[in-house]
Order: sequence, then C-alpha cells, then structure tokens
Amino acid sequence: MVFVLTAICAISALVLAYANKATRAAREYQLLKYVEEPSIREVLKGYDNDPIKDRVEMFIGRDNKGKPIRETIFPAKKNGKLIGMAYSTEGHGYHGTIEVMVGVDMNGTITGISIMQHSETPGLGARVVEPKFRDQFKGLKLSGDLNLSTEGGKIDGVSGATYSSKGVVSAVRKALELFPRAKKEVS
Amino acid sequence: MSVAQEFTKGLWKEIPPFRLVLGLCPTLAVTTAAKNGIGMGLATTFVLVCSNLLISILRNVIPKKVRIAAYIVVIASFVVIVELTMQAYFYPLYKILGIFIPLIVVNCIILGRAEAFASKNSVIPSIADGLGMGLGFTLSLTLLGAIREILGNGTVFGIHIMWESFKPFSIMLKPPGAFICLGLILTLMNWVSSRQRSH
Amino acid sequence: MSEYLVLIISAIFVNNIILARYLGNCPFLGTSNRMDTAIGMAMAVVFVITLSSAVTWTVQNYVLIPFELEYLQTIAFILVIASLVQLVEMFLQKSIPGLYRALGIFLPLITTNCAVLGVAVLSVESHMSFIKTLVFAFASSVGYGLALTILTGIRERSATAPIPVHLKGTPLGLITVGLLALAFLGFAGMVQ
Repeated sequence: MVFVLTAICAISALVLAYANKATRAAREYQLLKYVEEPSIREVLKGYDNDPIKDRVEMFIGRDNKGKPIRETIFPAKKNGKLIGMAYSTEGHGYHGTIEVMVGVDMNGTITGISIMQHSETPGLGARVVEPKFRDQFKGLKLSGDLNLSTEGGKIDGVSGATYSSKGVVSAVRKALELFPRAKKEVS
Repeated sequence: MSVAQEFTKGLWKEIPPFRLVLGLCPTLAVTTAAKNGIGMGLATTFVLVCSNLLISILRNVIPKKVRIAAYIVVIASFVVIVELTMQAYFYPLYKILGIFIPLIVVNCIILGRAEAFASKNSVIPSIADGLGMGLGFTLSLTLLGAIREILGNGTVFGIHIMWESFKPFSIMLKPPGAFICLGLILTLMNWVSSRQRSH
Repeated sequence: MSEYLVLIISAIFVNNIILARYLGNCPFLGTSNRMDTAIGMAMAVVFVITLSSAVTWTVQNYVLIPFELEYLQTIAFILVIASLVQLVEMFLQKSIPGLYRALGIFLPLITTNCAVLGVAVLSVESHMSFIKTLVFAFASSVGYGLALTILTGIRERSATAPIPVHLKGTPLGLITVGLLALAFLGFAGMVQ
C-alpha cells in the first residue's frame, strides 16, 4: 500500500523535475518579455534584433550575504551593429524603491527612461511616470546637467514631489555610471 | 455502452457543467471571452484525458484505501505539467486564466470521472470518457464565454460583431453576469430536455 | 493596525471569495438549501481554510522557496490540504466528537473546495507575512460563510414561492447568487 503510493510520488517527482528543467529557459524568456519588453520599447528605438534574446548578464558585485549581484543588459542592434542598450536600476523615492529602465546609445547619451515600478503617492510622486517629467532626461549625459534644477542641473522635478524626483534622478545617474562597464560587456 | 457512446455522452446527455453540474468555479471565472473559454477547456481536457488514462491503467494496482491520495498525485502532476507548458509557450493566456490553472486539480469533473469511471473501466473507454467530457466542457465554456463576450464587449474572439450603437452590458463580464447567465442557460437546458422527454 | 482592517474589509466585502472571486461554487449551491447545513459548512470552511493557509504558508516559505521547488507548489499544497483534512477528521472524531458530528460530511468534502486551495495560493502570491496570511484566510472564509448564510436565508424563503418548474433548484440558485453578487459589487469602491 505504502509502496504503491511512494512509487507514484517518486515517478511524479522525476517527471516534474524534468519538465521544470526543460521549460525553464522558455519560461524565463516569457517572463522577461512581458515584464521588461514594454519598457525596453519605450526607451530604445530603431532596433531590429530581439534585445531579450540577446540579453547579457553582467556581474556587478556581491551583496552583504555574499550572493552575486547581476545586471541584465538588453542590447539593441540594427543590421547586426550595436546601436544602444537598456537596463534597469533603482533609486529611493518617498515610499520605497523606484525601478527605472534607462536606454542609452553607444556614446552614453540617454535615449529615454521608463518607470517600471514604484509605490509613490498618486497625484504627487507618481507623476514621475508622466512623459513631461521623463522626456527631460533624453539627450543628457552623465554630467552636472543630470540633476534637479534646484541642485544645479537641468531637470525640473515634479512639484511637491522632490523625493520621488530625486529618486528617479539617482537611479538614472547610477545607470550612466554603469555604462562604461556595460558597454565593454556587450561589445 | 460502446466506446462511441462513452465519448458522445459527454457532449450532450451528461455535458459538464450544464447537465453534470460539476466544475462551476472555472466555468464562471474564465468565461469573460470565448478565447479564454477554449484555453481553459483544452487545458482541462488534457489533464482529464491523461489522468483517466493513467488511473485506468493503474486501476488494479492502486489499493482502495489510498486511492484518493493516489488520484490527487496523478492529477496534480499533470496540472503542473500544464502550468509549466503554458508559462513557457502561452504566457498571455496563462496570465488571464491565472489562479484557475492550478485550480484544475480540484475541478470536481476530473476527480469525479477518475472515481466514477476510470477506476472501474479499461483504458480505451476511459480515454473516450475523458475526451468526451473534456470536449463537452470546452464547448460549454466557449459558448458561455462567447455569450458573455458578445453582450459584455460586443466582440467574439476579439472580432466586433455587434452594431455600431450597441452599448455593451459590462456587468456581463463581472460575477453577477456570470451567475445569471449560467442560471438562464441551465433553465433553457431543463426546458429543452423536458420537451425531449414529452416527445 | 489600519492595514489589517483594510485587509479584513476587503476580504469579506470587496473581494468576497465566492461573490467576487468565483472560488468555492460547487458546494455553495449544494449546501445552501437549509440553514443548519449552511452553518455546518460555513464553520467547516472557516476552520479548514484558516488552518490550511497557515500550513501552506509555512511549506512555501520554509520548503519550496529555499529548495527552489516553487514549480511543485500546486501538488504540494493540495497534498497538504488533503492530509490536513484527514488528520483533522481523525482528531475531531476522537477528541471533540460533538464538533465532528456537527461538521458531518462537509469536512472531507472540503478538500476539493476550490476556495481552500484558492485562498492558499492567493495569500502566497501576495507575499504576505504569516500574520497577514492568517488574517486574510480567516476573513476570506468568514466572507464565504456570510455569503452562504445570506443565500440560504433567501433560498429557504423562496422555496415556498411558486417557481416555474425549469427554474427550480440550481438555475434559480445561480440567479440568486448573481443578484447577491450584484449587491456586493456595491462595496467595490470602498478600498483602493
């Protein structure tokens, strides 16, 4: 009695473990496609490859538990030539982390940003998702301009939402700081 | 009953969930569009046929005392396979059907047929039974999905078929619409079969 | 504190597991014909859902995630629920026979009630803490019991009314649930 049940469970476990392995790559791809692709399309234009299929994992460092931290970089190519890349970084907003997808061309100039996740206040900090705020980042490089206008830069923050705006700026700066390494990793 | 009759009974006489009132949860939940109805129906059919097949093969091997537990392991394994396959190759449908894919494992139809049929009959009739019930279920879900989609959205399978000024009853896409629609369909079926009996 | 209140109100009224989330239909119609049956079912549901959500949360966070076995969630959860119900039945039969008799046949029936597996999966998907999961599970099952009791009250009254023969039984039951769901839709704007 126990033997039959155990046998069935054992066979089931083996079959499922195999199914899990066999579908893992396809599942990861689909998850990325539906979560990341809309943002990638927003920040990169004019490419003809599949940035998700061509994605590269870059090793950044280790967290305080010793686990490796990796950044996934999505390269954009046209006719086989690299024209830009996109990857996501995080900044601290008013209500937690804000995840930003940043698109850059091969010179380190921002082609666009997209807010992927946030928990900011609707009507205030949440307005960082509006094109009026985000479009200001286009064409900027890692320089003094890439700061809030109250701190000597060119970005007008969302009124009444300084922390949220600062959070986005810090995420974008982090992304551009990573750019030299990312460029090397993808080329 | 012949094998062909085992198959066709699931398509009218004992069609789930309209005549064989089982498997109501997914019926009401996913039928907001005809396409979702087909997706759910086919996924359930796959699990039903596979589990009927396996349980029929093993029917003399599984001891009576642990049979429910054994059936659950078999059914749940096929459900996990369906889950993984949908996540890998049919992701948008997977997101729409959501929590009701793992809930296939407690779909009373599957456990019901395993207990009532597959455990007592040989392989070919069991497959026919599973296939018939599964396809009947799929037909029912697609029909209900189409009705709710047409009334609630003006489309069927995504194609607009209602006239220009038609204002959709979006309540059809919500729970009240689902319950009432199903109730009315059951009423209709009762009426049809009582007329069949009186002839 | 207020987030627990929001969680409770949301689980009982706004996202009622049967009237808004479609979970737990099959036994819902079958046990709503008489009030004592309904109350027995409601009690059993509250008991099993709360207990099993606690256990499945533990399994998810201490077994499935650490060993990267999340894909086995469905099969692990249903086995936990089935075994739990068996154990509870045996325990009640020996230790609290009064309660065992009151719950009667509903206890084994609950294993296939999609509400149980549904609530377990929902609470794990929202990555809630243990306490929140308990509160959510308890509140959801109370919502189920509430809907069941209201429906039974209505059905008991309407049983003596003249109903067209084709509507009798399940069809009318479904339409009544639909109207009840319509009423509960009114709670929709309460929680953002």
